Amino acid sequence: MDLAIETVDLTKNYGSLVAVNNLDLQVKRGTIHGFLGPNGAGKTTTIKVLVGLLKADGGTVKVLGQVVRGDQPDVRLNMGYMPELPKFPKHLKGWELLDIYGRMYGMTEQQRKEQIPKLLDLVGLKGREKDLIGKYSKGMQQRVGIAQALLNDPDLIVLDEPSLGLDPVGMVEVRELVKEVAKGGTTVFLSSHLLFEVEQVCTHVTIIHRGVSLASDTLQNVSNMLSGPRILQVEVAKLSESTLEAVKHLTFVVNASRDGNVLTIELKTRDDVRSQVSQEITKSGGVIVSMNLKGQNLEEVFMQLVSKQQEDQAK
Amino acid sequence: MTAAGKGDRTGPSWMTRFWAVVRYELLWNIRKKKFLGVVVVAFALVTLSLALPVILSSTIGESVGANPDYVVTSSIGSFGFFLFALVTAMNSISGEFESGTIVPLLTKPVSRTMVFLGKLFAAFTIILVTYTVLFVYTVIGGTVVYGAQNNLHLVPLTMLGSILSTFVWIAMVLAVASISKSSLIAAIGGLGIFLALLISAPIVSAFSSQAWVLTYVPGNGASGTLGAAGPINVTTTQSVATGTDGIGANLGTFVLHPEANVTFYRLGIIAPGLPPETIALYTEPLSLVLVRSIIVALVYIAVFLLVAWFFFKRAQVLE
Repeated sequence: MDLAIETVDLTKNYGSLVAVNNLDLQVKRGTIHGFLGPNGAGKTTTIKVLVGLLKADGGTVKVLGQVVRGDQPDVRLNMGYMPELPKFPKHLKGWELLDIYGRMYGMTEQQRKEQIPKLLDLVGLKGREKDLIGKYSKGMQQRVGIAQALLNDPDLIVLDEPSLGLDPVGMVEVRELVKEVAKGGTTVFLSSHLLFEVEQVCTHVTIIHRGVSLASDTLQNVSNMLSGPRILQVEVAKLSESTLEAVKHLTFVVNASRDGNVLTIELKTRDDVRSQVSQEITKSGGVIVSMNLKGQNLEEVFMQLVSKQQEDQAK
Repeated sequence: MTAAGKGDRTGPSWMTRFWAVVRYELLWNIRKKKFLGVVVVAFALVTLSLALPVILSSTIGESVGANPDYVVTSSIGSFGFFLFALVTAMNSISGEFESGTIVPLLTKPVSRTMVFLGKLFAAFTIILVTYTVLFVYTVIGGTVVYGAQNNLHLVPLTMLGSILSTFVWIAMVLAVASISKSSLIAAIGGLGIFLALLISAPIVSAFSSQAWVLTYVPGNGASGTLGAAGPINVTTTQSVATGTDGIGANLGTFVLHPEANVTFYRLGIIAPGLPPETIALYTEPLSLVLVRSIIVALVYIAVFLLVAWFFFKRAQVLE
């Protein structure tokens, strides 16, 4: 398997606190891999080990096929990294910063002249590039962070909470940008505590809590990990008893009940059966106003996995 | 997007990356408010030392006499060396940790050793340029106020000596900053050590018979008197500092008087009420004093820089 990131038994301690605990992580090349977990789960620590800012206390780390052991500049040649709430030297102008970083990557003057204006435009900083970074807002610094991470057209880009500090429009723009970058073949490793962000952008996801990986697979497979019945809630105009009975007789339905105009259907399958249910309701004279499938949501998976871990630890 | 291109890239040359780090650091240094402040103060002090004799002479209706040795005998002085070292080095490393800018910097394809060397080279460049401008200003000002100056060819040599003196302090401040990762501790610690040596050195030199100890500590060191080669009692009134801060002045003196000796004295109290007696301790060739102070400076620079590098290299970036 062609992996962009691979960790085996990765462990990192801060004194007696185990920040990352025997973490096995595999990020396939060409994917958008979400790294999901609450604050303090060990996401940033893991990332800092990947980029060489921290030294692991145990386990092995491979990035783009190269073993990472502390400070290895050549590994970073093909990767871009945007730290959580990045801080840049306030005395530099936006374009100066990108120009200097470009030189560190060995970009020629011509490459810098082409790439920097393009990136400034892409992240919405065109016209502000000659201002000192000290005069930038938090959101603008975040945008500089994205631009510098893309500067070297990396094979792998690691984004640590890229939406933090951005306004809603900026958050949408970042999500679109991530998708765009991935289309060019770049592997994106995106750390976030925002479930909807991971859900909307990522193809794969690893859920981490208290330094331990709880699940790691495609987004679809992780979503399907949820145990227990799935519930389909349907709001129906002109809901009749015959509609309720018709739904109850569907083979994949465990039970169905009504509360006013809302029909609650308990399903025994994890397949998407919304079209069959819809057909049955319409056939029996009902008019569907809304339909909401519960039990396939990443948030619910996440909450269930975290609760399970806490229960296991309490035992 | 096409930058360096995707795939397994060959990294840029060592020099390319190194110059990028130097550029990064230089831009920081020249825009530091603290640094600009010290430069302004240095220029103000040089101007004052040039203008004060003119002002004082004019108040008593006399003109300033010619002094052809004004430029070669003038120096930024110990405190000047220390101040320039402090503003150049105190937050060069620790400031990056404090502000969090170390994170994007160390995740670029540059090694920590390269970042360290780049910062060091930038400090050298800044000091070299600043001192050159200050010396040129002193030469012009000295010529205008005191007439034609002698031995101007010695100015570059004394300036290099001054840079070496400054680098002892730079290395020390960098070591404290790298260990503590705090600019404040670097500044207070550095200032504390500097003041302790500045105050204790003349006391030890004047009242103890152990003045030789001061030749091995940073700063002014022991104070001796320059004399011609020969018997101990053939002396002049020109003072010679044996410490690392005296290298620049001693280089110039050595070129002019290669055979000179330095005699060291201490003060002896004969009886209450009587003036203290000057007791000669020992005499050494100026060449020995000079070479030893250069070696001592180089050893301090090497040791402090090694300590600073070691801690910077091992630092875990938690911010």
